[in-house]
Amino acid sequence: MYRIGIDIGGTFTDFAAVDQSGSVVFAKYPSTPEDPSIGLTEGLCALADELALTRDELLAQTDLILHGTTVATNALLEGKGAKVGMLTTEGFRDVIEQREGLKPDRYNVQMPAEPPLVPRHLRLPIVERRRFDGELIKALDEQSVLDALEVFREEGVEAVAICCMHSYIDPATELRVAELVEQELPGVYVSLSSKVLPEIKEFERFSSTVVNAFVGPLIAEYMQRLSTRLEGAGYGGDVLIMHSHGGLSTIEDAIELGAGLVLSGPAGGIAGGQYCAAVTGVDDFITFDMGGTSSDIALLKDATPSYTGNRLVANTCVALSSIDIHTIGSGGGSIAELLPGNILKVGPESAGSTPGPACYARGGAAATTTDANVVLGYYDEANFLGGRVDFDGQASKDAVGAIASDMDVSLTEAAQGIVRVINTQMAEGIRIVSVRAGADPRHFALLSFGGAAGLHIADIARLLDIKRVIIPRSASVLSAFGMLASDLRYEQVRSVMKSLKDLSQDDLFNLVEDMRGLVDQKLNKLESLLESRRHDLALDMRYGEQIFEIRVPADRTTLKSDDFAELLAAAFHQKHEELYTYSIPDQEVVVVNVRLSGVGVMASMPNEAALPRDASDGRYKSREICINGEWRTVSVYDIDSLRPHTHVEGPAIIESKTTTVLIGPQDEVNITPHGWLDIAINQSISAASAA
Amino acid sequence: MADAITASVIQRRFFSISEEMGEAMLRTAYSQILNASRDFSIGMFDAVGRLIGQAEHIPLHVGGLPFAMKAVTDYFGDDIHDGDVILLNDPYHGGNHLPDLTCFIPVFLDGHDRPQFWTLNRAHQSDIGGSATGSYNPAATEIWQEGIRIPPLKLVDRGIMRKDLLAMIAANVRHGPDFRGDLAAMIGSARIGAGRLKELVAEYGLNIVNDSIDHILNSSEVQARAAIESWEDGDYFGEAFMDDDGHGTTDIAIRASVTVSGSELIVDLTQSDPQVKGFNNSSYANTVSSVHYALAYLVDPTIAKNAGTFRSVQVKTAPGTVVHPFEGAAVTLSTNHPSQEIAEAVMMALAPACPDRVVAGWGKRYRIAISGKNPRNNKPFIWHLFHARPGAGASCNGDGWSNIGELANGGGLKFGPIEVMETRFPLLFEKHEFRKGSAGAGKYRGGYGVSLALKLETDEPVSAVAAGEGKHHAPFGLFGGDAGLPHSYGRRPPGSSQIIDIPTKTVDLTFESGEVLVIESAGGGGYGDSAERPPHLKALDAKSGLELTSEE
Repeated sequence: MYRIGIDIGGTFTDFAAVDQSGSVVFAKYPSTPEDPSIGLTEGLCALADELALTRDELLAQTDLILHGTTVATNALLEGKGAKVGMLTTEGFRDVIEQREGLKPDRYNVQMPAEPPLVPRHLRLPIVERRRFDGELIKALDEQSVLDALEVFREEGVEAVAICCMHSYIDPATELRVAELVEQELPGVYVSLSSKVLPEIKEFERFSSTVVNAFVGPLIAEYMQRLSTRLEGAGYGGDVLIMHSHGGLSTIEDAIELGAGLVLSGPAGGIAGGQYCAAVTGVDDFITFDMGGTSSDIALLKDATPSYTGNRLVANTCVALSSIDIHTIGSGGGSIAELLPGNILKVGPESAGSTPGPACYARGGAAATTTDANVVLGYYDEANFLGGRVDFDGQASKDAVGAIASDMDVSLTEAAQGIVRVINTQMAEGIRIVSVRAGADPRHFALLSFGGAAGLHIADIARLLDIKRVIIPRSASVLSAFGMLASDLRYEQVRSVMKSLKDLSQDDLFNLVEDMRGLVDQKLNKLESLLESRRHDLALDMRYGEQIFEIRVPADRTTLKSDDFAELLAAAFHQKHEELYTYSIPDQEVVVVNVRLSGVGVMASMPNEAALPRDASDGRYKSREICINGEWRTVSVYDIDSLRPHTHVEGPAIIESKTTTVLIGPQDEVNITPHGWLDIAINQSISAASAA
Repeated sequence: MADAITASVIQRRFFSISEEMGEAMLRTAYSQILNASRDFSIGMFDAVGRLIGQAEHIPLHVGGLPFAMKAVTDYFGDDIHDGDVILLNDPYHGGNHLPDLTCFIPVFLDGHDRPQFWTLNRAHQSDIGGSATGSYNPAATEIWQEGIRIPPLKLVDRGIMRKDLLAMIAANVRHGPDFRGDLAAMIGSARIGAGRLKELVAEYGLNIVNDSIDHILNSSEVQARAAIESWEDGDYFGEAFMDDDGHGTTDIAIRASVTVSGSELIVDLTQSDPQVKGFNNSSYANTVSSVHYALAYLVDPTIAKNAGTFRSVQVKTAPGTVVHPFEGAAVTLSTNHPSQEIAEAVMMALAPACPDRVVAGWGKRYRIAISGKNPRNNKPFIWHLFHARPGAGASCNGDGWSNIGELANGGGLKFGPIEVMETRFPLLFEKHEFRKGSAGAGKYRGGYGVSLALKLETDEPVSAVAAGEGKHHAPFGLFGGDAGLPHSYGRRPPGSSQIIDIPTKTVDLTFESGEVLVIESAGGGGYGDSAERPPHLKALDAKSGLELTSEE
């Protein structure tokens, strides 16, 4: 039987299938943004081709499809979601537009105000109010709800977000309002703040709830179409959906919590990173995914990513737990520009994929990172990006040439300059992300994926004093691949807001047991897929005087211990010291939230099968490239023909249909048993002189 | 000679070093004003005292750092050694106001007996002494009532901490342990920058780095000059007002005569009003700083800010005015006001010269600090009002942001979650939503202010301090746009329906248990003629339930 991972991206839909022996095949198929389920079902044919099967044969032999989707992300980015009506406590109608009084980019005072997902005339007050301790000081006036729903009916509202103050303590009012909505507007999608994110902090909770209402109906429709198409093709197995937190859920649960899908795709990449850690035995990875417009960076410590509850997607706050992925505005399409006074700037403006770099011959005339790489001779001009896009090398030369003549340097020097600037930016981006996490990048290996990263990754590592770079064979489809190795995950959170010393042990324990019960209910439904289950408990705590809390893992036995409060406090002080270099042991510790994740560990993917060994060393041609300012002829290797345990010494190019990797002088590549590149970076070349 | 590409790469490194210093500060500072509100800035200087890079935290800080740098080198001359750490906060020695403490580290390279670089960290302390908690003292009439003055002072001498000095300073501020923690974070952050600069020199060599600095500063100068050159030559005038000084002087004017001539700019503030008795005087460094951030906003927010950026700008002041007081005048409010009025006067003056760069008026800061006993735990509490922020002004790019506050920080400060405030303090927010009719109308409207009704759930009366501006003078409109509504700050005693006015500057307020603060914050000014407002925005306005000023 097969397991299939599918990741729908903006340009391509990526597929990976693994069978019981562990052999993995990949496919890429153009995405169909108008209805992504079309590209998905058609692309399955391409995947089946790789296995010499028909699609129906492949699906008949498949028991699990794991799927990451950009439906929620795109709805937010393009502002094309459901028409949402918001019901909220009287006096607090503008919470989502107030954004806690924060405007990004301080110096840009002309930045126009960001329109909220729900305009004010659809954010309607309902009469009710609960205090911080749960006491209802103003009972719900149902007429105020009915009046608002009348407006929603006239306006043709498709989804309703119910957001009451302090509802994380007691959801009763929101539940009653939901009943009224279902009664008055049957069939409308309903999103409750006490369900989506029962956590103190109204802006985060309300905004996430509104996002959920905004994307929920689209997710429901999409999932419906997907199920129909897969059933039509004869598929009878399970479909699980990838969430921003890197775990999987059923389709039904994904529809209920659509806001949890906004980082579905990138989360798959991190899952792929975790799989790479398991395969290579390297525990501390920085993952670097270079795209066209931007690049994503994440840190895996002990093969575990960190999570954040505070993400902005398309400038909208989504506070559901997600893997902490940082995005920097540098990519293959970043545009180079010469500022007055002769300073070269690369990005954040990007040519994207339309018009794209000048060499794409789609009308782009600006010099991009990719054009600089073309000028330096790194690409196979006869088979550019595997022949998937047209190629016009002269256009790259013209674009970079314009900058060269403005700078009064040679074409090669200008191209090298662009690459030096972008490599510096990307390396410095990684450094800052590491510093924020309290980590030293020199102690990490760099895991490179995404089609564009290969030409830059060795020099980025050199700039950061990183000694080892790993490029998996599946680098260009790592998200789809990572889904194959993911587990089910359900999360619960409750706000407590009590000082540790005032916290009743029984209350805390019972709360955790309730949360366990809820996640277990979900996992029980998928019992047949599970090998084991795990409950990850964490407490968000802070010192009494602070505003921001930090997440501290805890275990259930601690909660039963007589000195549970001391143990939790000690764990908090230690974590605080780790993150902020100090702790204040005599200060009061406050528990803000209790979090529990139920992880359903699925039968693990069989280890990727080792490749056969043969005599071929993968070298198949040579190419003249510019490296460190010198033009020289280097060997070009075909990644698919490189056999395990082969060594390749730089300078060299290693390429496939989807990626090109530049190996620097004296960098040494070892091919792993699975055909991956494991590169030892030569640090003796000064980063300052490296091109 | 350094080539343009190397200079471009080194500039990226300067950005990154400043950012890393900032991140280190965020991670290690004790006070929330630093680690949550980011009220600090980073700077790096070269051997001759030129600002070569900075982290973009507080726009106001940046223009002032060179004055502080100069004060340090003037004072110590050759008496600067490897391992020294120097402190300064005195507004009459290059500081802006006493709570902003700056720490300097000289960077020595092998073979040089003078520092080749300096790294700096300027951070707002949660308290710096004086007679009011938090060091905003509207009763102050001289700087000695505002806190401890620190002229250039060696805290660490060749690696040896002068413990007695540190103890003396810590004894003069209210939260000694926090102060020490924050200071350690500042020094740590500056040391990280020093280390990174040494690495950079090790990679490239000092000559290439220094050549690159010349190149980078020249480039910023060329970019700023190119922007100024695009403005029409002429003599322009702008005038902005503070309400009062809390000691009887009202309608305090800042007057800017601005001359644009080619790429040169002269900002003449000499006609501003005389210095005042209260704490809203602006030291010379703070004044120049305010002009610089106004220009940074106008010229192009993305130009790197360094010693080259404003070489073409001259600022003229007259001693004895509110923008250049004689030594000894009280100044603490100046980083908000008149900093904002100085920037506004410059922007109003230049509006006809660069209509597509200016923004209309923003609302002003109005601090209220409440202290009393929390009946829920019988402990004392202090609460600072950060809610009910005013609206921002509109520009040719669109409507102003609602409730993002004041011009000097460009909307970069968050107010805390209301649910958390209600849980931690004896407060009930009855209402916190956009204020009807507050936004100035125009082709693009200003941002809305906020209506706040805040009930005190204490058992006993609490005392409060107010330090505000903008109740009388409203955020201005531009090119036919209307002014926003000014602030209205009042209180409603329990059992009464009367709203009593809260003065802008006072130290002796008492609120009864159950009293409600009724605050209506200012809306931003509008831009352009309302008749030209795009129809889709008009339609949204009509449905929003929030009329604009002109419809009132």
